[in-house]
Amino acid sequence: MTGAVIEIGPYQLILALLFILVAGGASLYHGLRLEKDLLIGTIRTFAQLFLLGYVLKFVFRLDSVWPVLAVFLFMIVFATRIIRSRIKEKQVAFFWPMLISMIISYALAAILITGVIIGAKPWWKPQYFIPLGGMLIGNSMNAVAISLDRLLGDLKERRREVEMMLCLGADYHEASKDIVKNAMHAGMIPAINSMMAVGVVFIPGMMTGQILAGADPLVAIRYQIVVMVMIVGATAMLSFLGVRIVCRLCFGTAQQLLLRPEKNMRK
Amino acid sequence: METQTIIELSNVNFGFPDQRPILTEASLSIEKGAFYLLQGPSGVGKSTFLRLFNRLEEPRSGEIRFKGKLLSDYPPPRLRRSLLYIQQTPAVVDGSVEDNLLLPFSFKTNLHLKKPSRRKIEALLEQVHLHGVAMNDHARTLSVGQLQRLCLVRGLLLDPEVLLLDEPTSALDQESAMAVMALLAQLNRESHLTVLSVAHQIFRQGDVAYRHLQLKDGRIEGTP
Repeated sequence: MTGAVIEIGPYQLILALLFILVAGGASLYHGLRLEKDLLIGTIRTFAQLFLLGYVLKFVFRLDSVWPVLAVFLFMIVFATRIIRSRIKEKQVAFFWPMLISMIISYALAAILITGVIIGAKPWWKPQYFIPLGGMLIGNSMNAVAISLDRLLGDLKERRREVEMMLCLGADYHEASKDIVKNAMHAGMIPAINSMMAVGVVFIPGMMTGQILAGADPLVAIRYQIVVMVMIVGATAMLSFLGVRIVCRLCFGTAQQLLLRPEKNMRK
Repeated sequence: METQTIIELSNVNFGFPDQRPILTEASLSIEKGAFYLLQGPSGVGKSTFLRLFNRLEEPRSGEIRFKGKLLSDYPPPRLRRSLLYIQQTPAVVDGSVEDNLLLPFSFKTNLHLKKPSRRKIEALLEQVHLHGVAMNDHARTLSVGQLQRLCLVRGLLLDPEVLLLDEPTSALDQESAMAVMALLAQLNRESHLTVLSVAHQIFRQGDVAYRHLQLKDGRIEGTP
């Protein structure tokens, strides 16, 4: 770091709330009825980030592997819950398989990035492992939710085509190949698009944060490049694993499609 | 000719939650080489009944045997090729007529099967009055009636042992329906193909000694 960070004091934080007042005013003026949500959102932003700040400070001070892994695991469990809640289709129970595949993918990606590419010593050094892990989870979580939503939606919508192939001797993998491919593609597109636009259309949050904290922009961009490719890689790995696992769960022991029209749903 | 059971249902129960049961303690023997017409009131579960034979649905209890062995003793893709079910609403993949007809031969279970010759395909297409359809036509440009016949031909190319048909002539005009029925009757007579067909229409009597099955109130019964 080459410069000191300008601290944001309590008064400045309160001043920043002017933006919320503007948003609230607009909501009132246009009758959007978003005032309550804005209030709750603001309180949650303050509470959650302050809590995170104190937790991170505590974990950084402990400087031990277990609290770091506990925070990491907590983030993954929460991400899995968010993915589950975002998917409309509820016939297939995939929380646990998804959680396990997320733990494996994220752990591999995060260890590779901190321990091997950045070369942090030890590999779990909280200042690196937690923020990078958080970015990894936060960004790829959306991709996985998109992939799974697409997979389940298409399997239901193209049920007749899938069953036609099963009837002609295809196994479940052959019958769903096209749908799996489309689902993975849908999940990957946002990450690839952001690689195309980075630095031209927007300056990513991590890089902004480092520059604000006084880092040399040339150092910041290297971190950002590592983060971008890490997100794309983890998204691909997780989409691949998640889509495959959930797809298998959509078929029964006789490789019959379990997703069915609402009127014939099993309890 | 000595009769031989090819499919046997013993005390089969099936139904969807919160709906009337489709089968209650149903037992039935399907004879090899016979031609069954399955009838019953609309919405009674005739299509679902057919889907039990190739394990697209699994019974809640009871046993279904094919050639003496439980259905679960066969790998599902292999079973489905032998007990071939053709849906009422035709389904095709994005591609030409030829792509669709040869699609099953790209599946692992069917890789060892010899691809049918063009002559054989064209002869079958002609028999179901699809002579106007070219192999390189895009399948999705065909009418529902044409697709229904295309799907039947695609299934027959796999040379199944049992054909499970769900209203195979529902979208056909009288003439095309007669052609399809004549082909099925011929295959049943000459190749001893076992056929089990859901049919609202009265099949032409005389060609084949049709047997009638009635599905009603969870029971399946043979009727004269």
